[in-house]
Amino acid sequence: MRHRQSGFGLGCTIFGILAILPLIPGPLQGPFAKHVLVMVLLFASMSQAWNLLGGYCGQVSFGHSVFFGIGAYGAGMAVVKYGLTPWPGALLGAIIASIVSLVISYPCFRLKGHYFAIATFAIVEIFNRLFMVWYWVGGALGLDYPIIEEGWRNFMWYETKTPYYYGAFALFVLVFSTARWIERHRIGYYMRAVRDGQEAAESLGVNSPQVKLTAMAISAFLAALCGAFFVQYNLRVDPPMVMSLDMSMRFVLITILGGLGTLWGPLLGAAVLIPLQEYTRAIWGGLGGGVDLIIFGLLIIVIVIRQPRGLMGFVSWVVGHRARARGRG
Amino acid sequence: MKWHWSKRVLALVVVLLFVGIAGDAAFSQEKVIKIGTLFPLTGPVALAGQRCKAAVETAVEVINNSYPDIKVPLAAQEGILGGYKIVLVHADHQGKPDIGKTEAERLFDQEGVYAIIGSYNSAVTKPASLVAERRKKLFMCGCSSSAELTKRGMKYFFRMAPTDETESQEFVTFVKWLNETKGADLKTFGVIYENTEFGKHAAEEAKKAIEAAGFQYVADVAFNPGATNLNSEVQMLKGKNPDVVFGACLGADYILWVRTMKQLAWLPKVCLNYCSGYQDPIIAQQLGPDGDYFMGTTGYSPELAELMPAVAPVEEIYKTKIDPPVPFDSDSIQEAVATFVLAQAIDKAGTLDPDKVAETLYANEWESPLSLGGKVAFAPGGQNIKAMSVVTQLKDGEYRRVFPPELANSDPIFPIPSWDKR
Repeated sequence: MRHRQSGFGLGCTIFGILAILPLIPGPLQGPFAKHVLVMVLLFASMSQAWNLLGGYCGQVSFGHSVFFGIGAYGAGMAVVKYGLTPWPGALLGAIIASIVSLVISYPCFRLKGHYFAIATFAIVEIFNRLFMVWYWVGGALGLDYPIIEEGWRNFMWYETKTPYYYGAFALFVLVFSTARWIERHRIGYYMRAVRDGQEAAESLGVNSPQVKLTAMAISAFLAALCGAFFVQYNLRVDPPMVMSLDMSMRFVLITILGGLGTLWGPLLGAAVLIPLQEYTRAIWGGLGGGVDLIIFGLLIIVIVIRQPRGLMGFVSWVVGHRARARGRG
Repeated sequence: MKWHWSKRVLALVVVLLFVGIAGDAAFSQEKVIKIGTLFPLTGPVALAGQRCKAAVETAVEVINNSYPDIKVPLAAQEGILGGYKIVLVHADHQGKPDIGKTEAERLFDQEGVYAIIGSYNSAVTKPASLVAERRKKLFMCGCSSSAELTKRGMKYFFRMAPTDETESQEFVTFVKWLNETKGADLKTFGVIYENTEFGKHAAEEAKKAIEAAGFQYVADVAFNPGATNLNSEVQMLKGKNPDVVFGACLGADYILWVRTMKQLAWLPKVCLNYCSGYQDPIIAQQLGPDGDYFMGTTGYSPELAELMPAVAPVEEIYKTKIDPPVPFDSDSIQEAVATFVLAQAIDKAGTLDPDKVAETLYANEWESPLSLGGKVAFAPGGQNIKAMSVVTQLKDGEYRRVFPPELANSDPIFPIPSWDKR
């Protein structure tokens, strides 16, 4: 019980710090710094959505950019095609993404291990090509937002980043609270049981296909909401922007770097990777030749070699080290 | 104390970070105008992006220093607006619209640039120029070709190059001319294009122009950029056998398309290319004799130098900024034009107020010896209405001018000789 309360306290502290972050005077007030913060929260949320399936349930998917893209197109179609606010489109997109995820994963979950991962690779390519030639959703031209009224109703601002920050924060709270609830709920234990040994879990009465499908549907729903935010932030969507292996890999990379199957791993991963990516590009991108990408890659290698369990492994080591030091003292 | 290698790497990164910041601070003391460039310096079209960046650097070198022998505006004086020098801040959008938007915001908000020149890919130019428009800052676009860009009614957006709409109309005019003066009897048309913002838009404009002229549009063939095999696409063209094919295939895709046509022993009677792989001299070299007889629009190539004598000395500077040294191409030279025209407008307006400079840009016709027409003038929406290109035909590695007749130095060769008769 104490453990549960301390976890709750940590969560509230992190939410509290993030809530007041844009109000603290100093370097975080600049528009680029705020952009980086928005990206950290968005990518942490996206990666947490993936973590529910890939980390807790052990089903490594490279197809999450499809659900992310469906959410993005949901909001984009509502605004660009139908002149509505993005809200109904985002919700409908998330529901459709969940349904699509169930339809796709039902046959794919019969595959195990690497075969499931390979199948999800193929799904990204299929959806990318499909959306490239589906002219109702803009095809290769994509959807460009018109200049419309700013504000929460249209969830669109042209110059200030602060409302986007709080939008990303709300999404972050929703996704991480859902993850924490699942982590402590019966379904969370079932998911980890399936990850650690499907046959053993089934022998104890866990309905593993149902558990995996539930994890997939929740994960796809949340990833789609992140996609809707992404399109509102960029005011444009086309298939390569959202439905690509590149985007799928970001979900995976951030989670693995932060700590697979841990609650705060995706936040840690995003908090390290995204600023690295954005600032290396800002400082060295203009040199050309991909110097920023080389430095970014080198830093990832350094982190992964130093701590193969991800940054959460590093945090555990620090906490354990301090506890041991106190014990000795 | 012995440092672990990972700590050394991190220390090196921190040092480089500070070097970057210190270098930036050095500019703030001088009388400078910061201009941002936004090109794909990495990614699938990095080579084109690097050339565009070098073209802007070339123009800035001419503007900032005195080159009395170069016959382009501002070359004889040093700087503009009574001694202001232009300082460039480069950004890489990697060919991705979301990164393009973010980098445009960073250039304006963090780097404090006065204007942006960019950004090659139409799909990136769209959101990046929207960032400028909302901030009431100037966005000078050299070569993005989507006609849509100048139909948005923007006030601070200016584009130098012809659009895919004007190119489509020029192609159709050329085919009519062949029919009327050479008895070509060309009736059916097909389009092959990469399935991207650029290709799709070009295909839509092609269809409009072809049907408006009363010709038959019989083949619409899209392919995914970076394809490793175009057999089925060329088979589709071969099946419909159009007299004329318009191509919108960039870079290596253009090579693959031409070689696949050779492999399948098929050719249309006339083949016209949008600003794409056809215009790249390196690609023409790689194709060798297989690239002969194809045609396309060209805003600049070394063979057009006799029409544009002022280009040569500027091109010599350009060659020092790009490795390997190559001449200007149709795209990169437009970015140099965008830089010169912006500098001329600031100088003439006598102020850095973006509204006044935008008004000045619209109100005047600009001398532009680096443009084929020699002039630049803007219509509402920002399109350069003086933008011109000629239809060229590649023969023995040379781009020969074939249309319009008053600029031609060679007769067009058609129908294209079949592969076995070369």
